Amino acid sequence: MRSEFWKEGLLLLDGAMGTVLQQRGLPPGGIPELLNLTDPGLLTSIHREYIDAGSRVIYANTFGANRLKLEKTGKTVDEVVAAGVAAAKRAAAGTDARVALDVGPLGALLEPMGTLTFEQAYDLFREMAEAGTRAGADLAVIETMTDLYETKAALLAVKENTGLPVFVTMSFDRTGRTFTGCTVASMARTLEALGADAVGLNCSLGPDLLAPLLEELVRNTRLPVIAKPNAGLPDPADGHYDTDPEAFAAGLARCLDAGVTIVGGCCGTTPDYIRRLAALLRDRKPAARAYDTVSFVCSPVTPCRIDGVRIIGERVNPTGKKRLQQALLERDLDYILDVAVQQEDAGADILDVNVGFPGVDETELLPLVVKKLQSAVSLPLQLDSSNAAALEAALRVYNGKAAVNSVNGDPETLETVLPVVKKYGAAVVGLTLDKGGIPLTAEARVKIARRILEAARSYGIPDEDVWIDCLTLTASAQQNQAAETLRAVRRIREELGLQVVLGVSNISFGLPNRTLITENFLVQALGAGLTLPILNPNQREMTDAVAAFRVLSGEDRECRAFIARFSGAPAAQTAPAAPETLTLDDAVVRGLAAEAGRLARTALETETELELVERHLIPALDRVGADYEAGRAFLPQLLSAAQAAQAVFEVVRESIAKSGGTPVRKGRFVIATVQGDIHDIGKNIVKTVLENYGYEALDLGRDVAPETVLETVQREKIRLVGLSALMTTTLPAMEATIRLLHTLPEPPAVFVGGAVVTPEYAREMGADYYARDARESVEIARKVFGK
Amino acid sequence: MQPDIAETLRYLGVRGAPDEALRRDVEQAAAALAEQVQPQYTYRVFPAVPGPDGIVLAGAGMTLPGETAAKMLAECGRAALLLCTLGAPFETLLRACQARSMARAVVLDACGSALVEAGCAAAEREIAERFPGCWLTDRFSPGYGDLPLALQTSLCAALDAGRRLGVSVTESLLLNPTKTVTAVIGLAETPQAARIRGCGACALGDACAYRKGGGTCAV
Repeated sequence: MRSEFWKEGLLLLDGAMGTVLQQRGLPPGGIPELLNLTDPGLLTSIHREYIDAGSRVIYANTFGANRLKLEKTGKTVDEVVAAGVAAAKRAAAGTDARVALDVGPLGALLEPMGTLTFEQAYDLFREMAEAGTRAGADLAVIETMTDLYETKAALLAVKENTGLPVFVTMSFDRTGRTFTGCTVASMARTLEALGADAVGLNCSLGPDLLAPLLEELVRNTRLPVIAKPNAGLPDPADGHYDTDPEAFAAGLARCLDAGVTIVGGCCGTTPDYIRRLAALLRDRKPAARAYDTVSFVCSPVTPCRIDGVRIIGERVNPTGKKRLQQALLERDLDYILDVAVQQEDAGADILDVNVGFPGVDETELLPLVVKKLQSAVSLPLQLDSSNAAALEAALRVYNGKAAVNSVNGDPETLETVLPVVKKYGAAVVGLTLDKGGIPLTAEARVKIARRILEAARSYGIPDEDVWIDCLTLTASAQQNQAAETLRAVRRIREELGLQVVLGVSNISFGLPNRTLITENFLVQALGAGLTLPILNPNQREMTDAVAAFRVLSGEDRECRAFIARFSGAPAAQTAPAAPETLTLDDAVVRGLAAEAGRLARTALETETELELVERHLIPALDRVGADYEAGRAFLPQLLSAAQAAQAVFEVVRESIAKSGGTPVRKGRFVIATVQGDIHDIGKNIVKTVLENYGYEALDLGRDVAPETVLETVQREKIRLVGLSALMTTTLPAMEATIRLLHTLPEPPAVFVGGAVVTPEYAREMGADYYARDARESVEIARKVFGK
Repeated sequence: MQPDIAETLRYLGVRGAPDEALRRDVEQAAAALAEQVQPQYTYRVFPAVPGPDGIVLAGAGMTLPGETAAKMLAECGRAALLLCTLGAPFETLLRACQARSMARAVVLDACGSALVEAGCAAAEREIAERFPGCWLTDRFSPGYGDLPLALQTSLCAALDAGRRLGVSVTESLLLNPTKTVTAVIGLAETPQAARIRGCGACALGDACAYRKGGGTCAV
């Protein structure tokens, strides 16, 4: 068994390396890791000063020694890391100090903020982790992280490729969030679940400002907690940090009182600070601490404590939904995102995500959908599949702590799915059924729940991460089972103390006035102890019932949420109310999406889908377009009309999906922001407008390589390509893309646009068209497709 | 801090008086944004000395080549490097908004541009207060005039922008998060003429669409 030195009493880390090097003459802006090769003696002497001051763990000078940062230096990760660890080991020789491989942020932002993928980040961290192990580091520290996603990539890379203990610290500002919006609770509970050995905070602030955040952190983890603050804040005139060793130690004393057991210093600290901390630790013992045991899932920005009723939105599930089935088969991720967004806005707390449908490769699609949803939805997700490989692929790229739906009492599913749940630190839903089917008594369901709980415990999954689904059967078919399910809910809540899940909508299947039955069942189940109803949050009756329940259960303190929900002013309308005589054309022109959708449904009673599009939709859009060109309407109005048109198109698509007819297709185009460019709002505007004229977009996103555009054009036989660039530095990439497309025997028409593109540039680059704005792109599409 | 409404409307391409509904939408979006995101900035002041290749900011490990820097900093013994950003939370908000309504997203995007400008103005005021007796030049940025865009990298490194504010510079010299502004501001001991702001200093001259319409872009 490896020595778990970080759990034994108090542990003193080292202080800053970077700012000490600057004090000793290193110019700012350089790559300090190159000193590992050019002046290792200097590093060894600084490490030695820290050890002499009392440090028992020293961080090797490898913070930025990743391939991205070293790329232009001609040095390899292996040699820089090896030299850095060696310099530290020379200082530690003959002492009991341990040497940590120091792993900092990569210096480029990950998707969806940046363009680096999770998988690329993992590889970059893996190289460092392997190099550190080879060099003989005793542990790894991942520090100064601000993006939970990047942190997860680093943690997985260390855990999967080394046997080293790993400490993880992130940087928070005084609002209690990282730069990317991650909360302390999300960070602590995600990283503990993923298997970090100690977690904490470093950099950004002095110890006085970090102390309240550390108190919160201690409540949210069972792991040893680390504090490595800055020596206060730097002076803008001379860069000098404002907290002296005495004040620094006083600030850290408060952190120790809160239960922190591992301490050190970050920017601005020196061996003097560490010496002072050593004196502070000498006569202290770890303080008592209290862990807040609670069921919990999260995204980085949205922690979800399950200490009351939490609504799980059920709509991302193709069962019985033709339009979603079509979207899954066509990989229309935008539609899936739209379904998710509506549920978030309607008050869901967690979203169930199920993409299982014949013809869909779940292992490939589920992770893509997870990434897409997490780019614009802040709620935690519940990944719904029985395919362990798909679950693993999706859990791996999930940002935060997810839930998995589901396992059941069958030993085979428990053995395949629970190890994945444990590895990625998810919560898991256990269905109270097994090979024998769904038991008809509450007694038998409780028995299966116990079996699932025991199995989860055997893998080290804590009880609060085990959620039991008592299963709702259809009242019209098995009427006596409604009461049996409620009994099972009550018993599992009372006897096992676990969270209880129920998909409530199923109760009313086959009955008239389904909403009434479902709502009644929901209320009774909540009364029996249901905490996690899976339902359709777009049904106002359901979320209203939950809001009322939260008042009666005492969860909604002082009825605040209820009062805000029902007694406030009616929600502000984004557009004035529509008059009685509103026509479909007017509704589109004025951007009234809901009205336009309703009027389109009525219109389809007397007109075909195609007539609707050609006679109403397109002329209405043209009217707005003409106003836009004349300076009577502006971009927001043009886009509002496009959105109303989208609502009409949605009605048309639904109608066609139902009747099994051929979709209205006027032509498909590829659209992309060119390689190196990360601005995509302009591209998205053009896409929105063209789509709502009936053209079909293949959106390749941003930072798109010329080769990707070429491949797509070839594979999909595309006749029109739109390229966007916002910066002069990315115009060459635009030109390169056009040049590559021109190598095709029959190149597609290319139109270009973006802030820095001019008609002259467009001509020089060989583009067929220059689009000044989204409106002009419509004229271009008409010319190319002839309609 | 709040985004300036007139400025936001200009970013949206609105000339003349906008209709009431649009103006109301912009005002609501601006207020909602300011509640959720505030600009964050950091700056450092370095001695600035003319050298053979440009103005040298030794403490920052930077040289500012070209005529723009020479002219702007001609009478300045020091220069401030400034970085102001709305950070990742704005990008997250904008992505979420684009998934819901592109019409609202373009308004939000314009509000963001105005808000980061408001942040720069606040930083300038703070610099002026912290260095009493100094006169500030107009702020100018890499990519303006002949000041190379390539300076983004060293400017961000000198301000430790990744660590301090979560800002990174991409291979193609874009700042990420995208609502980020970097700038140089000269500190002089004599009053400084406006060299960038105002129509007199603008390269567009009579070609400006706003002036043709009888107004100004208000920069």
